[in-house]
Amino acid sequence: MSQSGATVSQECITAFNDLKLAKKYKYIVFKLSDDNREIVVEEASADKDWEAFREKLVNATTKSRSGAVGKGPRYAVYDFEYSLASGEGSRNKITFIAWSPDEANVMAKMVYASSKEALKRSLNGIATELQANDNDDVEYDTVLKVVSKGLAG
Amino acid sequence: MSSQHPLPNTQQPSDVYGGDEVSALVLDAGYCHTRAGFAGEDVPKSVLPSFYGSLKTGDGDAATYRDIFGDECLIPRADFEVKNYMSRAESIVEDWDAATKMWEHVLIKRLQPEKPTPPSKNGLNDPVPDGEGDVAMDDVEDQEKPLAESPLLMTEAPWNTGKAREKVIEIAMESWGCPAFWLSRTPVLAAFAAGKASALVIDVGGANTSVTAIHDGMVLKRSIQKSPVGGLWLSGQIRSMWDNNDPKIDIVPSYMVENKTPVDAGAPAQAKLRKFPYEISQSFRTYEEERLVTEFKESVVEVWRGPGRYSNPGNEDIVRSQPGRVFEMPNGSNQMWREQRFRVSEGMWDETAALPAAESITKAQTIPELIKAAVNAVDVDLRPNLLGNIVITGGTSLLNGFGDRLNNELMAMYPGMKIKIHAPGLTTERRFSAWLGGSILASLGTFHQMWISRKEYEENGAGIVEKRCK
Ligand SMILES: Nc1ncnc2c1ncn2[C@@H]1O[C@H](COP(=O)(O)OP(=O)(O)O)[C@@H](O)[C@H]1O
Ligand SMILES: [Mg+2]
Repeated sequence: MSQSGATVSQECITAFNDLKLAKKYKYIVFKLSDDNREIVVEEASADKDWEAFREKLVNATTKSRSGAVGKGPRYAVYDFEYSLASGEGSRNKITFIAWSPDEANVMAKMVYASSKEALKRSLNGIATELQANDNDDVEYDTVLKVVSKGLAG
Repeated sequence: MSSQHPLPNTQQPSDVYGGDEVSALVLDAGYCHTRAGFAGEDVPKSVLPSFYGSLKTGDGDAATYRDIFGDECLIPRADFEVKNYMSRAESIVEDWDAATKMWEHVLIKRLQPEKPTPPSKNGLNDPVPDGEGDVAMDDVEDQEKPLAESPLLMTEAPWNTGKAREKVIEIAMESWGCPAFWLSRTPVLAAFAAGKASALVIDVGGANTSVTAIHDGMVLKRSIQKSPVGGLWLSGQIRSMWDNNDPKIDIVPSYMVENKTPVDAGAPAQAKLRKFPYEISQSFRTYEEERLVTEFKESVVEVWRGPGRYSNPGNEDIVRSQPGRVFEMPNGSNQMWREQRFRVSEGMWDETAALPAAESITKAQTIPELIKAAVNAVDVDLRPNLLGNIVITGGTSLLNGFGDRLNNELMAMYPGMKIKIHAPGLTTERRFSAWLGGSILASLGTFHQMWISRKEYEENGAGIVEKRCK
């Protein structure tokens, strides 16, 4: 269980297995349900366009306690593929992204950060993880560098 | 909703914060401040100094002492000493008796609204008043545990001892009757509130500065570094600077001043001092001086932003060419501070720049070295993520220029690495980040299943806290 007590819905695990084993998806975006009780799938997609995925994250919103809508955190899993600079072919790395924009309200940041463990532990087969807090952190080149540990070409 | 004016029962919303009928209490105790409030709120309702008073009655062998709590008690008095319930060296509880009383003062006196008397007992519904009934009822109420309806989340330093953790749940459960309890570590809460499950948390507080690596919401024990280079140490530097100033600056806290006449910069004060028909203790005076020194920190002191040390050639010339800041003492004496306001904070970064003071420090105790030691103590693979997720918290981190200097120091120490500092712009968030994190956590509906319940405590004993609050 996470430190917040939030749980992970079965659909998260199913979608993840579809991504990992059936290669049905390129990425999955997860969010906390409106009552903050459960982590659910917001979207699972086969779209290979990183920019489209990135837009989803940077445009994600959440409601503060007072009802104001602002930027919001998310979790995501992306089946990242890159070729090695050494020419030894390509690699796949299922990457977990904890997206928490600095502008998000503190309640949302707290809930997502303290619930992350629950989701990560439920998803078996994550190769890399990154924590992203501003738009630059989810630029393709930034992520590529982290995921490939600088070995991508 | 104001806790001071509880609504009648019928109007009271039963669902105030995320499903809890009674909102939990959150308590964050530091060496300088004890912060307490209701879960779900943005700032602690009550922020008190962690200092309390001890009043003496009688003399010699017949002397007895009574402790008094609350900032309104900390005024000039006869036979009065000011004490602190925390350890200056460790920022953890030293005097359990005083700690318990202080927390009761904050949690019960300050935060519990007078309980509305239930209609069955308020007399209005009694057909015939029956004589001594009231007295008996009062007795029953006195025996009631004061926090029997309030779950309590407390914070703790990451180096808190196992014994202290058990002690604190015992107090909550046995003395106060809390229905549920939880302990969270301050840097974990600060990291979470910054939206990070992993972070390097730099807490520049009152008695200590500490650096702690958090990974996936857990403290990496071996990373923990702490040193006395915090707010009080900086106060010592300011005192040293004032002492050695020409003319020497007397610290005259405001309680001593009856009235004052404005004087020119650098001129001797023209003030009438209050006379007390009893002796004011050194501990009270030091407490009052400290408040004055904090004002000076807020309005005058600045951190040299770097890059490089303040002592590097040319830097002081730059500062000299810039406007200074005037500070007026409560007695009216005032002067312009220019290069000294940078010099005085430089020792936090560079031990060779520390002014001569009672507490000298070593290189290893400076902030850059603490960070280096913390980072070196964790796995190489985790380091880049930590350096990219630095969270700063604590009152002393509010010093002007602090974040910029920290950034420059880190860039110099870790060339080529991505350094990113998260420093909440809101000063309340920076001062209260651990409290705020606890407040949100304890207000979540899902947190119900996290709390150590009274039943669990009764079945397992105080040792449960070690098992559950990892
Ligand atoms: N604006 C400020 N600039 C510099 N120092 C400050 C400022 N506000 C408070 N302080 C210092 O911060 C310290 C208290 O920090 P805090 O984080 O509350 O400590 P603790 O958690 O140990 O009680 C005090 O030494 C005080 O002088
Ligand atoms: Mg503190």
